[in-house]
Amino acid sequence: MAFRLDYVAKETGRNLVRNPSLTIATVLTVAVSLTLLGAAMLIRVGVAGLNDRFRDDVEFIVWVDPDVTPEHLALIVDTLDSSANISDSRYVAREEVYAEFQQYYRESPTVLELVNPDEVPTYFEVVPIEPDLAVVQALGKEYEKLPGVFKVQYAAEYIKKLNDFTRLASRVMMIAALFSAGASTMLMYNTIRTAMYARRREIEVMRLVGATNWFIRLPFMIEGMIQGAIGAGFSVIAVLLLNRGIGKQLNKNELKLLASFDLNQSDLLSISGWLLLAGAMIGFLSAGIAVTRYLDA
Amino acid sequence: MIKLEDVTKEYPGETIALRNADADIGKGEFVFLIGPSGSGKSTFLRLLNKQELPDTGRIFVAGKDIGKMSRRDVPKLRRNIGAVFQDFKLLSNKTVGENVSFALEVIGRPRHVISTQVPAILELVGLGEMSHKYPHQLSGGEQQRVSIARAFVNRPLILLADEPTGNLDPQTAIGIMRLLDRINKTGTTVLMATHDRGIVDTMRRRVIELADGHIVRDQSRGVYE
Ligand SMILES: Nc1ncnc2c1ncn2[C@@H]1O[C@H](COP(=O)(O)OP(=O)(O)O)[C@@H](O)[C@H]1O
Ligand SMILES: [Mg+2]
Repeated sequence: MAFRLDYVAKETGRNLVRNPSLTIATVLTVAVSLTLLGAAMLIRVGVAGLNDRFRDDVEFIVWVDPDVTPEHLALIVDTLDSSANISDSRYVAREEVYAEFQQYYRESPTVLELVNPDEVPTYFEVVPIEPDLAVVQALGKEYEKLPGVFKVQYAAEYIKKLNDFTRLASRVMMIAALFSAGASTMLMYNTIRTAMYARRREIEVMRLVGATNWFIRLPFMIEGMIQGAIGAGFSVIAVLLLNRGIGKQLNKNELKLLASFDLNQSDLLSISGWLLLAGAMIGFLSAGIAVTRYLDA
Repeated sequence: MIKLEDVTKEYPGETIALRNADADIGKGEFVFLIGPSGSGKSTFLRLLNKQELPDTGRIFVAGKDIGKMSRRDVPKLRRNIGAVFQDFKLLSNKTVGENVSFALEVIGRPRHVISTQVPAILELVGLGEMSHKYPHQLSGGEQQRVSIARAFVNRPLILLADEPTGNLDPQTAIGIMRLLDRINKTGTTVLMATHDRGIVDTMRRRVIELADGHIVRDQSRGVYE
């Protein structure tokens, strides 16, 4: 089948400008629904990063003051080693923490510059025998009182709460995204139907002179695809801005544990790619359905 | 070229537009389909390019049983059958030249074919100078010539004309009939539905008369009666 590209381009362009308000409404609906989807994806990737950071077997972390005295450090080691409630503990030395830090902030050299390798706090990864949260918390309270301990962080509790919350948020957003994707599909369907109605005389002539259904269909489907992709483009911008906003907030509040929510470029690239693909598909397919139903009627 | 075997067409609402019709029309014939309004002339024509499907009977076009044709082959059938209507069906936002080119563009003809065939066909229908005008700038007769040019530019085997002179004054109608006659002389089979007595009586061609869906007369070199 011989398609003339210039023909398809001309017809598609005409359709796009024929009814600008409807085109804009369609593009915006697609943008809103895909922004929701993108935000849900941001959260998912963030949570995944968070879980990577805390390995499963670490139940809590005892942070040590950067200027701890050797005696105090020895005391902490002793206490941990002699405790009957602790199955394992590991001291993470300054170089290792800094290396982790470098790895972690590899996308943000400015953050790294602010960190003096000598002032990096060190910590113990502690695995209690009893993984029960109450027991762990009781233990943690004890260690917090030791001299030279700067803070005890309960990984399990913290991560569990955060996970619950983010999972809920991401689920709510996914559902909202699904509903608004439904709305954009319907709006797209109507936009294409309106475009076809406006061109019904042309379509009648096309069918009479023997144009194939694909030839009639394609400009409309490409029109839908372009509208979907433009909407997706807006949603990509919104998601990138959202990500940057989160990143700024995280740095300001020094919520270092949440830093995995400040996504790196390859994650953002793949989210953007998925959004564009989703937008183009929504447009292409809903237009395809509209055209097929029109031609079969 | 065209053969109907016991064809019946009923529309929803129990209107039977064509009843047990038989007809055999050879290549290069010129046939008038006559009869009062509502007698089934348009239905007869629409069945031939599958704008309508018969309820019973078989229809052959160029030797092929079009009832057995798949949906995908319908465009090919239509490329061999030009169609002209009382209301011209021209696209008002396109010029004369564009209206004719459109028929070739949408069946994927290459640009160099279009750029030679369109001027040639406009010359043939007597509108060589009108290519850049819009339909509303033309008279009714000129508009019908454009629509004939569009129907014939792909050189179909068959030309269907459904009351092509119905909206035209007698003088203009004669011009259109001359044009259809010329097209017929190139070997194209022409079927024309009309209830214009004067035209039928002057042309003296084969006449198939319909009344209430029945073929009541099929006569060569006939008159209207
Ligand atoms: N699409 C349709 N739906 C229902 N009835 C129709 C339709 N087209 C034509 N008819 C009916 O079929 C009969 C034949 O119509 P038509 O073929 O248009 O006759 P003609 O062209 O001779 O006027 C008429 O009674 C008409 O009302
Ligand atoms: Mg009629």
